[in-house]
Amino acid sequence: MGVAAAALDYDAELMLRVKEGDGASFGLLLDKHRAPVVHFLYRLVQEQPVAEELAQEVFLRVYRSRSSYEPTAKFTTWLFRIATHLALNWLRDGKYERGQQRLDDSTQDAPARQISDRRPSVEQQMVYEVKLLEVRRAVASLPGKQRAAVLMHKYEEMEYSQIAKVLGCSESAVKSLLFRAYESLRARLAHME
Amino acid sequence: MLVAYAAGELDLETAAELESHLAGCSACRLLAAEQAAVWKNLEAWEAPPIAPDFDRRLYRRIREDVHFSWWERILRPFRPMPLRQALPLTVSACLLLMAGFVIERPGKTGPVAPHRETVRVDQVERTLDDLELLGQVGMNQTESVHSHAM
Repeated sequence: MGVAAAALDYDAELMLRVKEGDGASFGLLLDKHRAPVVHFLYRLVQEQPVAEELAQEVFLRVYRSRSSYEPTAKFTTWLFRIATHLALNWLRDGKYERGQQRLDDSTQDAPARQISDRRPSVEQQMVYEVKLLEVRRAVASLPGKQRAAVLMHKYEEMEYSQIAKVLGCSESAVKSLLFRAYESLRARLAHME
Repeated sequence: MLVAYAAGELDLETAAELESHLAGCSACRLLAAEQAAVWKNLEAWEAPPIAPDFDRRLYRRIREDVHFSWWERILRPFRPMPLRQALPLTVSACLLLMAGFVIERPGKTGPVAPHRETVRVDQVERTLDDLELLGQVGMNQTESVHSHAM
């Protein structure tokens, strides 16, 4: 992505204003990207307090880098690159295993299921929780990069080219990562209705 | 392509071509159904709400970060405990090390002449006599103690 294309990126414009000392623009960026970053990190590390801690580190690094910021890439690419880097480091450092012991408690971080027109029955709630646990386990079983690729593809709706830039690999490598990841997920989740 | 199809990423024309293929290929049809099931199951995974004090904590960290000087930032990873606690400990450790060094090597006092052990015969004889005398005194004392006891 060149400078011309980056000029279309409103987030990059906001970041340039932050660079010039405009704190309000940082607030706008935070409002816009807080939830996607925290949710992405949550699904990656599967612990909400850790996800929030890592997300704080992401935004802190963004703020720290304001003076050297150059819009050479899309802002979200840069943002998710920092987030992925921090999360994969956290997973690599083995802190993840401790968290997995708590994964059995499926309701730990599970949000209360909201159904607009009617409340779910106890049976529906239980079915949902079992399904959620299975999904979390299936995603947790993926290697770090595959997991990050799936989450960016599924929940952030990123294109292959952007995922490639975030992960620092080629587009074909991303396709391969996604192919293998979805193959594993199909083996574990396809039977579930 | 099936992944993109399940994700709804294909344009209408490509999707139509794929669907016509799926109509006649049971293996691909099964794969497409499985991928759609995965997609649907992933959709059910909602993330929990973010803590309400997220921004407050972040801005506090930013304020603290701004107040750090450049050298404090460099030293921070090497500073697991607060400076107030670490400084006295470091000073004490240095003093102990220095004391140990001084005790071990008290400093140069000039060349020391090699110590030569010489044995004088008369001195040895006198020492043996002294020991014999001490032995006799000891025996006398033991005898007197026994007589007192009886």
